[in-house]
Amino acid sequence: MTSGKQKITWAVIAVLVLLYALFPVASILSTSFKSPSDLTSGKFLPSSGAGTLDNYKQILVGDAQGLFLSALRNSIGIALIATFIAVVLATLCAYAIARLDFPGKKVVLTTALAVSIFPVISIVTPLFNLWRNIGLYDTWPGLIIPYLSLTLPISIWTLAAFFRQIPWELEQAAQVDGATTWQAFRKAIVPLAAPGVFTTAIIAFFIAWNDFVYGISLTSTETARTVPAALAFFTGASQFEAPTGAISAAAIIVTIPVVLLVLLFQRQIVSGLTQGAVKG
Amino acid sequence: MPKTSAATNRAGGKRRRLRSLAWIAALAVGTMLLPGCAPSDGVPTLTWYINPDDGGQADLAAVCTTDAKGAYKIETSLLPKDAAAQREQLARRLAAGDSSLDIMSIDPPFIPELAEPGFLAPVPADVAKRASKNVLDGAKAGATWNEKLVTVPFWANTQILWYRKSVAKAAGLDMTKPVTWDQLMKAAGDEKKFLGVQGAQAESMTVWINALIESAGGHILLNSGAKADEIKLGLTSPAGKEAATIIGNIGKENLGGPGLPTSTENDSMTLFQGDKGSFMVNYPFVWPATNAAVKAGSVKQDVLDDIGWTLYPRVDADKDTAPPLGGINLGVGSHSQNKELAYKAIECITTPKNQATYFVTNGNPPSNSTAYDDPRVGKQFPMAKTIRESLKLAAPRPQTPFYNEISTGLQQRWTPPASVDPTTTPQESQDFILAVLRGDRLL
Amino acid sequence: MSTTSTKESKSVAPTTRQRRRANLSDRAKSERRLGWYLAGPAFIVMLAVTLYPILQAFWDSLFSLRLTAPDDTTFIWFANYITVLSDPIWWRDLGVTLIITVVTVIIELILGFALALVMDKAIKSLRGLLRTAILVPYGIITVVSAYAWFYAFDINSGYINHWFDWIPGISPDLNWFAEFWPSLSVIMASEIWKTTPFISLLLLAGLAQVPSELTEAAQVDGATWWERMRKVIVPNMKAAIMVAVLFRTLDAFRIFDNVFIMTNGAHGTEVLSLLAYRTSISRLEIGLGSAISVLLFVCVLIICFVAIKLFKVDLAGTQGDK
Repeated sequence: MTSGKQKITWAVIAVLVLLYALFPVASILSTSFKSPSDLTSGKFLPSSGAGTLDNYKQILVGDAQGLFLSALRNSIGIALIATFIAVVLATLCAYAIARLDFPGKKVVLTTALAVSIFPVISIVTPLFNLWRNIGLYDTWPGLIIPYLSLTLPISIWTLAAFFRQIPWELEQAAQVDGATTWQAFRKAIVPLAAPGVFTTAIIAFFIAWNDFVYGISLTSTETARTVPAALAFFTGASQFEAPTGAISAAAIIVTIPVVLLVLLFQRQIVSGLTQGAVKG
Repeated sequence: MPKTSAATNRAGGKRRRLRSLAWIAALAVGTMLLPGCAPSDGVPTLTWYINPDDGGQADLAAVCTTDAKGAYKIETSLLPKDAAAQREQLARRLAAGDSSLDIMSIDPPFIPELAEPGFLAPVPADVAKRASKNVLDGAKAGATWNEKLVTVPFWANTQILWYRKSVAKAAGLDMTKPVTWDQLMKAAGDEKKFLGVQGAQAESMTVWINALIESAGGHILLNSGAKADEIKLGLTSPAGKEAATIIGNIGKENLGGPGLPTSTENDSMTLFQGDKGSFMVNYPFVWPATNAAVKAGSVKQDVLDDIGWTLYPRVDADKDTAPPLGGINLGVGSHSQNKELAYKAIECITTPKNQATYFVTNGNPPSNSTAYDDPRVGKQFPMAKTIRESLKLAAPRPQTPFYNEISTGLQQRWTPPASVDPTTTPQESQDFILAVLRGDRLL
Repeated sequence: MSTTSTKESKSVAPTTRQRRRANLSDRAKSERRLGWYLAGPAFIVMLAVTLYPILQAFWDSLFSLRLTAPDDTTFIWFANYITVLSDPIWWRDLGVTLIITVVTVIIELILGFALALVMDKAIKSLRGLLRTAILVPYGIITVVSAYAWFYAFDINSGYINHWFDWIPGISPDLNWFAEFWPSLSVIMASEIWKTTPFISLLLLAGLAQVPSELTEAAQVDGATWWERMRKVIVPNMKAAIMVAVLFRTLDAFRIFDNVFIMTNGAHGTEVLSLLAYRTSISRLEIGLGSAISVLLFVCVLIICFVAIKLFKVDLAGTQGDK
């Protein structure tokens, strides 16, 4: 039913939205291919046609390799573990909220809400002191634990919303059919709940991947420093030269997983975010 | 349930993805445990916290590990790019009583803050004696606190005046004689060119202010050993006002170009290499960086040929200049378990030969005057003599455990350069910093 | 789809509950116990990572405590709070934070609403593409966004000045990060770009809940697009809008990454989070820094309280137990 005029309108809108969403990414992508002399050219694209790969070489096989690759390993590991723990805890919690009748349900949900609006910077100073005293400073657990304050609340909310929509009668039906509670849960409920859990995991991963404040405050060496924190450590050939190219290249590399997840799971992320946040 | 069947169908694919996600997580846990089980071959490992450079400190670590013949090995760990952030990391770890801080590359102004609470292991008397032999005065002063050597000078940085010969000639300046800031400002204004100075709100601003005040015969800090609430500042002295006049005029008359309020050492160099370049105060890294740019084709050979150098400009025509002093000294953490070995390693790192190598490969000048006699130095750095001379005249920044407060306060109140007014800025910034030190104000 | 299943589960709930009550009270007890076994770990973790630190921060804030002078620690009651609250820097930073919060939230609401409409109404062939594109900024690391915008506007490495030099006031010599308003604009642009997708997804959820009969009826009555928007759609998604605004307000109030990367607070662009960070992490003034942290937390509580009391944002009700 779309007329020609409508098609053109939509094409224009689509181009505008794409420009809006992708232009800054394209901008830093182009910067990552610029050589030092190109940086001050005042042009969007690198001047020498395809540009240079030197910046990527610097961080992947060159001088900054140790710095960047260890940060990348830390980022991936810490974000995945924080996501995993958050999703496991949140699944149990959300199941209880959606399914069981117990006093304090509202307290748990309200707490989750309160934690999610907590100013991160307020937690950093005491944690920094505590971590120094108990030896968690500059370790993986030292970041994973505070990351839970970011990932747990939204996981609980999103999952509780998902679980509310699961037709739990199926479980009872299965039990009536002679299955044990566990079998009923596994056969009837898990397949229904899995997509929600998975979507929650993606959203939680984005949040853990994005952290900067904890990363710069609670780490000091390559044992735990994450990529956003490591960007401040790049330098040019000497300490006074600007690391623009290397930072841009690193920025692009840490953006790749985000773009991949978005491309693969666009539908799940949209439904997860829209269901978790507002249920009228 | 219209939803059920569709949901179950979708769930199949999801389940596979879920499983792979679990695998990734398991793998990640595995890799986390890996670094914990490194084999120990009995050789004590010294960790050297280095500031970012062009790989020179890592090379020296390797050289000294070989020289040690199994007595110790040195591993490096990187600090942030920015001087203030380096201090932050070190102070945090030292305060935490971290035993991994065997050797640290420390920017001199932050040394008193770390030495005062006893975070630094004392330098053994024999090491101190050997380490101060032939060391340039400025560098020695920077390594000292309460009249004791608390760190070992490694390399010493200083700013010199870089100029475009063509511009100096057109302006009629005789660069073989000492020049003053006023002359440079007039020359840049007349020739419609820009001066290369660092006007950003960063440590480089304190470097500039300190050099100007010291050149004018004053000091930012009047009583070095004082407690926080007894500190006296000399910003309102005639020297402080002269400094404010120079910075304010460069800002107001747009002599530093539009980039001045955000300009760092690197930005100044880019400006200097461009069409508007005239005079610039900057560190020796400019020379290797410009040579590299010529090789890469981004700067023309005739720009390189046009570059001259001399001592940092004077404030008063008849008073010696006091150029900025930077560099890196090596300290040992008081909780290190290998203090003796760490000082052995430091003595290896700081031999004149290694200092010369470091200068030639990384562009960071030696603190030991004999290192300048190395033939490689003169070949790579035609301005080595100027640098050595500059280091003799150079004045350290205020030495006090409260340097961070003073420096940050100055940076906040003396930027952007165009807002600096000799009649108000020195007084206001002095009052502000003193209030911060008393604990009455936030910074 | 989602509404039907919610309704159904709602109708199921009372019967199960009644049956349970009629059954063993033991069973109810064990259900309670199970509930807390399952929800407990998450609950405890959440408290441990927030409640404990904020209490510790409050305790620390009563001391004059500097990490590099550990021997000089003294108990000074509320003197740190007096220092902070009587200091113009606190109020200046609060002002800057509020400006950023108000401006970004307003623009994001408008832009996010437009994007939500686009996602909602888009023809099928475009829908996936548009949603994917809009999710890119959502997933990107804030620090990366900050660098992208910074490098584009920077006087040395940027190209924006060269592109837009035909606009009066913009020339290759314009140094965006040398003055308050220009640098704040770029900071806000980055913040808006990165977080608008979140708000637009919340609004999309709200749009989906506007009964289509109402809009259709309005269309039949000859209402213009604008009238339908104003009289039917917006009033019907008020709850969603309020929740979106509150969440984003609290999030914007915590802004840190963009400012830290782009100006690090130069030229008066410092925000409260940065002040707290610089005081406790950079200056190592734990006592004073903790006081700022606690005050920042109080600010968030006030915003929340005002929103809930004044604008009747029903947060728990959006998802509470039904």
